[in-house]
Amino acid sequence: MNLQPVDFDLLFGTGLWAVVTGSFIILFLIVAFATSFPLYGAAGPGRVIAGTLRGFKEFLSPSPRRIYAIAILTFKESIRKKALLVFVVFAVLFMFASWFMASPSDRPDMQVKNFVAFVFIAMNWLVLPVVLLLSCWGLPEDIRIRSLHTVVTKPVRRNEVVLGRMLGFAGVGTMILVIMSAVGYIWIQRQVSDNVELFCRVPVYAVAGPEGVAFLDRNGNPGKGVNVGDVNETRSFIEGGTRAAGIWTFPLNEEADTLKLESRFEAFRTYKGDMNRSIRVRYVLVNEEKSLRVPLPTFEVDEFGANEMDVARKQVWTDEQTLEKKEVDLYKDLAVPSEAGTYGSLVVHVQCLDRSQYLGVSRGDFFVRLPDRSFTTGYCKAVIGVWLKVLIIAMFSVTASTFVKFPVATLLSASVIIVGVVARDFLDKILSGKQAGGGAAESVYRLLTHMNDTVALPANPLTTSIQLFDHALQHLLWMVKFIIPDLRSFGMSDWVARGFDVPWGGVMLPSLAITVGYFLPCVLLGYFSLSLRELEAK
Amino acid sequence: MNNLTSRQRKTACVVGILVLLVPIVILGMPAGDQAEASGGVLARLRSEHDLGESDLGQIDPTSATMNLVLLGLRGVAVNMLRMDLDHYKDTKNWAELRATTDAVITLQPHYIEVWRFLSWNMAYNVSAEWDAVPDRYYWVKEGGKFSQEGTRRNAEVPELYWETGRVWGQKVGRSDEWKYFRKYFLSDPNVEKFGGGVDFEVNPKQKDNYLVAKDWYTDANTAEDARVQHIMMRALFRSYPTRSQLDYADALQREGKFDSRTVQAWEQGFDEWTQGYGKMTFKAPECVLYMEANEDDVRLMAEDNKVDERVVHRWLNHYQHTTNYRYWRSRSHSESQPETGEAHKLIYEGEQLYKQGELAEALPMLQRGMGLYSTIIEKHPELADEDLTAEEGLWAVMLWQKILELQEQPIPETYALKALWERHQGLLPELEDRFNRLGL
Repeated sequence: MNLQPVDFDLLFGTGLWAVVTGSFIILFLIVAFATSFPLYGAAGPGRVIAGTLRGFKEFLSPSPRRIYAIAILTFKESIRKKALLVFVVFAVLFMFASWFMASPSDRPDMQVKNFVAFVFIAMNWLVLPVVLLLSCWGLPEDIRIRSLHTVVTKPVRRNEVVLGRMLGFAGVGTMILVIMSAVGYIWIQRQVSDNVELFCRVPVYAVAGPEGVAFLDRNGNPGKGVNVGDVNETRSFIEGGTRAAGIWTFPLNEEADTLKLESRFEAFRTYKGDMNRSIRVRYVLVNEEKSLRVPLPTFEVDEFGANEMDVARKQVWTDEQTLEKKEVDLYKDLAVPSEAGTYGSLVVHVQCLDRSQYLGVSRGDFFVRLPDRSFTTGYCKAVIGVWLKVLIIAMFSVTASTFVKFPVATLLSASVIIVGVVARDFLDKILSGKQAGGGAAESVYRLLTHMNDTVALPANPLTTSIQLFDHALQHLLWMVKFIIPDLRSFGMSDWVARGFDVPWGGVMLPSLAITVGYFLPCVLLGYFSLSLRELEAK
Repeated sequence: MNNLTSRQRKTACVVGILVLLVPIVILGMPAGDQAEASGGVLARLRSEHDLGESDLGQIDPTSATMNLVLLGLRGVAVNMLRMDLDHYKDTKNWAELRATTDAVITLQPHYIEVWRFLSWNMAYNVSAEWDAVPDRYYWVKEGGKFSQEGTRRNAEVPELYWETGRVWGQKVGRSDEWKYFRKYFLSDPNVEKFGGGVDFEVNPKQKDNYLVAKDWYTDANTAEDARVQHIMMRALFRSYPTRSQLDYADALQREGKFDSRTVQAWEQGFDEWTQGYGKMTFKAPECVLYMEANEDDVRLMAEDNKVDERVVHRWLNHYQHTTNYRYWRSRSHSESQPETGEAHKLIYEGEQLYKQGELAEALPMLQRGMGLYSTIIEKHPELADEDLTAEEGLWAVMLWQKILELQEQPIPETYALKALWERHQGLLPELEDRFNRLGL
């Protein structure tokens, strides 16, 4: 997982939302006008306009009291449908969880990861399907037993029915989630050994360059990191015993007497060397303009662990050129003027000191660590991530149930959620053309002809047809991309499991924005679908 | 059926159920306390063919529950978990890898190859990914403990006992990090948890790693008495406990311990090799034989097997060659002699003096060591064919020549071990490389 997500651009997101929502409303109106002619003749467009205006008017004056009443009824109905039986499964899971989790007990970092992951997997798998099934079931069942018919004849507007239903199901999900997360929290605290401290790091990552980290090659010139042939290409490697270095530029936003630097690098040896010690690494604080190169104490890398170093604001150091002792101030002398931080930026070069050994680094491997937050804070944020999923599922499922029956609504909502969580990367790859093997038709052709995805298709009319077909499908998929929510940022537990706080800008904000962004389109679609639906039909 | 009343339909169903119950009871009745005699047909067959969970080893309720809950989807679940496992290894997510390993084995508790692979994966692959030696040792232990757990769940499978012995013997004792690993085996690097002592889960009797491995190999042989193993030739498989004893003695020498304990270890190894392993019978394609055999024994074996003595000789040679029987016999015998220990000691101490720059003291020590070593090889010429023996001799000559070079003295025309030096020129490039890397 990417622990340093790029901050969400709220302004751009809002603009995109307005364009997509507006486009769909316009598309909807065009379709409505087009179909009104054959149905109602010349009066058709007028009826569409009147209906739309009535809808917007009803939208602007909802009754909170009626919405609340429907929400409460929905809540009670869900309890009556034995939704709370989910707690039985939950209880059984947690009673026997330790049987299934023969965790390596003498590595606390691994313990915590597994326990946190287990709690959130259990919550996700228990709460989300319950909310999905209840929400998809509610309205179709009301229509089937005609209870909705009696409701809409009362002074209850259909948007209030939709809103009330959404609120009610979200309320049930919220209640279940709150109880489960509280039990989960206590369970983690009880399972984790006494000597393990739970906390959430607050990292400040380096300013993202075009390739993540900037590198100097072995001669000290700007270059690239070395590829040592590792299957996992997340990290590039710095050659040891040369002038090669990785360069991190940290924004400085607050003054402090000490700056905590933390890194988790990977060591790669080309020969065994001295096995009794790890690869040696050093940080050099650099201000090129002032010709300052302040080396910090050398340390041995703790691979896959945390290398922590407190850097005092006042640094007394020996100039490697003149061998003079000097003193510098981190903020006044070393900070480079930059827009990224209030006090500028701190440039840190990371060097590997052992000849012919390599140090594997990526941008997220090295960060400035601000004062830690409590584990409870991170845990609550991760629970909020699950809660936002509950809200999205309730909204989608209720909306789907306004125009299709229970089984179809369930399939539709489940598909949207699964694609949003699991297949979003795949969708992006197809649309960006990075997916090997081409589109759907090309893939089928390659499968049938046993053709490897690296071999070019033959130049013939069939290939042209296949590519045209895929091109058209790709446009359709492009539209689908804007309908299906991107739920990747909603899984926030990974941060907590790894001992980090959940970032606001790159994770929480986009999740909140997506949830809020889907609210209005869902309610609008639900309202108009319910308005157009023949409620007498079963 | 539609013409029947509700009562008639229900009665028909009850009768049907009762009729079906009879074969179910006959077939599926569980076994009682006297397991073999009681129970239904299936229970008796299970017991007869050792297929019940309790016959295979310790029952794991978690595993049984998981398999029950997954119905027929165990294979799918395992496939997905194995893909996850590979992904976690590639992306170096060790906590997830460890947890997934446990999950896989929960679903496949009696699949021997899974135990073998996952144990090896942790002890050999994952451990090599870590830079710090204590971290590597942690993963070696994880692999070994995992294999130990495999023997508890599959008590009758010789391969898993052997696999456990391999981790504690070969991995701990022969890796590049063997000096540290062997030390850690008796004094775990996790001081906080083990207080500088042993990890009792691994080494409850606080023994040398090779002796612990020997115990596991002995258990493997005991299990092999009842069930055939499928990993190697039987004669090789049965040799491992004694080989561990010999490796133990060899390791003491490698560590520069040349006291009576080392001599006793070699003596015990010689006895076990010749009187224990050497007298074990093996079924060759044309005869049954044992390897500690003189001409009289060959004649007796030929008579017993009703074959020509040449046939016995042929198979005896084949088995002795495959198991390196004669080498280990000579080696353990020669190492049991005081002069051999003395030769090793002189070469070892000569090297230590050389490293300390005491060239004047190192030279005569090495010369005496080379002389003694040469005498031993003359007594046991078959030792000269073995790489390990040759390497030690060549190493001594290299050190000796280096000292002469530093002292600006010519290398004499004749010297002890010259024959060995000339015979094994092929080994020199690798040895010289090692010599240079160590900065000697």
